[in-house]
Amino acid sequence: MQLYRLDSAQVAAGIRNRDFSAEEYVQQLLERIEKVEPKVNAFITVTGGLALERARWLDRRIKDGEQVGPLAGVAVSIKDNICVNGTKTTCASKMLDNFVPPYDATVVKTLFDAGAILIGKTNLDEFAMGSTTEFSRKGATRNPWDIARVPGGSSGGSAASVAALECALSLGSDTGGSVRCPASFCSVVGLKPTYGLVSRYGLISYANSLEQIGPFGRTVADVSAMLNAIAGHDERDHTTAGGKQHYTSGSDKPLRIGIVKEFTEGADPDVSKIVYSSAEKLEGIGCKCDQVTCSSVEYALASYYTIATAEASSNLARYDNMRYGFEMTPEGYEWNSYFAKARSNFGEEVKRRIILGSYVLSSGYYGKYYLKAQQVRSVLRKDFASLFKQYDALIGPTMPILPFKIGEKLDDPLKMYLVDVDTVVANLTGMPAISVPAGFVGNLPVGLQIMADNFQEQTILDAASMLEKSAGIQRSPDL
Amino acid sequence: MAVTKELVGHLGWLSRINLTDEELERNTAQIEEIIKYLDKLDSIALSQAEPITTKKDFSELRDDNPQEFGSDPFRAAPRKDGYVKGPRMT
Repeated sequence: MQLYRLDSAQVAAGIRNRDFSAEEYVQQLLERIEKVEPKVNAFITVTGGLALERARWLDRRIKDGEQVGPLAGVAVSIKDNICVNGTKTTCASKMLDNFVPPYDATVVKTLFDAGAILIGKTNLDEFAMGSTTEFSRKGATRNPWDIARVPGGSSGGSAASVAALECALSLGSDTGGSVRCPASFCSVVGLKPTYGLVSRYGLISYANSLEQIGPFGRTVADVSAMLNAIAGHDERDHTTAGGKQHYTSGSDKPLRIGIVKEFTEGADPDVSKIVYSSAEKLEGIGCKCDQVTCSSVEYALASYYTIATAEASSNLARYDNMRYGFEMTPEGYEWNSYFAKARSNFGEEVKRRIILGSYVLSSGYYGKYYLKAQQVRSVLRKDFASLFKQYDALIGPTMPILPFKIGEKLDDPLKMYLVDVDTVVANLTGMPAISVPAGFVGNLPVGLQIMADNFQEQTILDAASMLEKSAGIQRSPDL
Repeated sequence: MAVTKELVGHLGWLSRINLTDEELERNTAQIEEIIKYLDKLDSIALSQAEPITTKKDFSELRDDNPQEFGSDPFRAAPRKDGYVKGPRMT
């Protein structure tokens, strides 16, 4: 049996009932990874030895009749900007080439407590800055559906590893769409939780007022199982706000849904067609879908790139090669020249964002850019709050375009930024948003984005699973 | 502030990042284009909008109880006499 095809519930049940062992399952996954990695390059580090060790430990516990967690034996990959104790965590950057965290991120600890097995750390755009995983210093990840195309980003490795059947679940991080974008491009499910639902302790910061760690899975049930494990208040992250429930995926309760005009009109016509046909499918099972408009979303992207670059310029000031970094002796350098030389090893996109951030925060310009960007956030929050009084959920395309060819947008940073136009709104307001597979154009995946009010993840999971049941979209390519 | 090579170089210096001439050339044009896009923020009515802030009461912060890491977080850094060795200050 091809164990690597199973979703997390099937794996957990199979291992618990001793239909197969965790060791057998992990062994099959490691063989699968060896087979497809040359084409996909989803992983920076494969933790094969540790995974097998843990699998054997779990098998022994189950044989002895001991209690194991709800995700016991399920193989998980984790984006390489989330700290795992004792395992290299590089953020796909030279600046953290040798960094071995001395602690587990809270989300990692919760997954281990639930019995999950870490199979590897996945590729990302350097420091999570990017929308295609092309800015990784470890080579680009390729879209399993068409390896000449991008998988999306910045959590491209996470999405690709799930789509390519290299693991059942993955954790990514979403600052401006970095979970939802690759989920859409790779035809998997990816959720950005409400800001404050999931602890960021152990997530290496890029823009800390915007980012959230989010789960990937091949099904909505996978994502809700993972959310149940990782969500919750954390003493170590004072921006966590509680609000956790027990999440399920399967309610059929009809919802009032708004289709955001600005998102569908700004998208490729082939992509919008799929959004409208998804709306029809939801209407077919009892939901009510209306077109809605929100004119302030036009300013969301400018607001996002102002705030994100500003926060990045501050958060990346810590990379001075003194505490973590790469081999570079301080001999022969004086104070400033050492840091300037060390930091020239950032990739180009990272340097660009640090400089942009410095610009928008500079004296005399703070009022023109950063302050206005923060005001736009409150305008968006107010506008979406009033929409959520009339609608349970709002939908649109996750990405305005289809997955494009590797290299296509590398020379034009602004063109690259524009692909985030549908996803950044959720980060600016804090609201939860999911991307769920909605169809294909040719063999290229299209994801539907579903947004809801703060802490209404259950509504999103309900809507997503209703679509999943009625649309039956393929989840993994033949690779 | 017009986005000139001098400005980009200066911002690079403030961020302690060396930029080569080639990088300065390329980045100046790109950054200028991006800043022009961010100027969009000038055209939305914001007089009624308060910027987003969150307040945390001091009493809500957790107690400051230091905990040891299991291993050395700075293992990669060069050492001398037990201290991390840095560049000379001038």
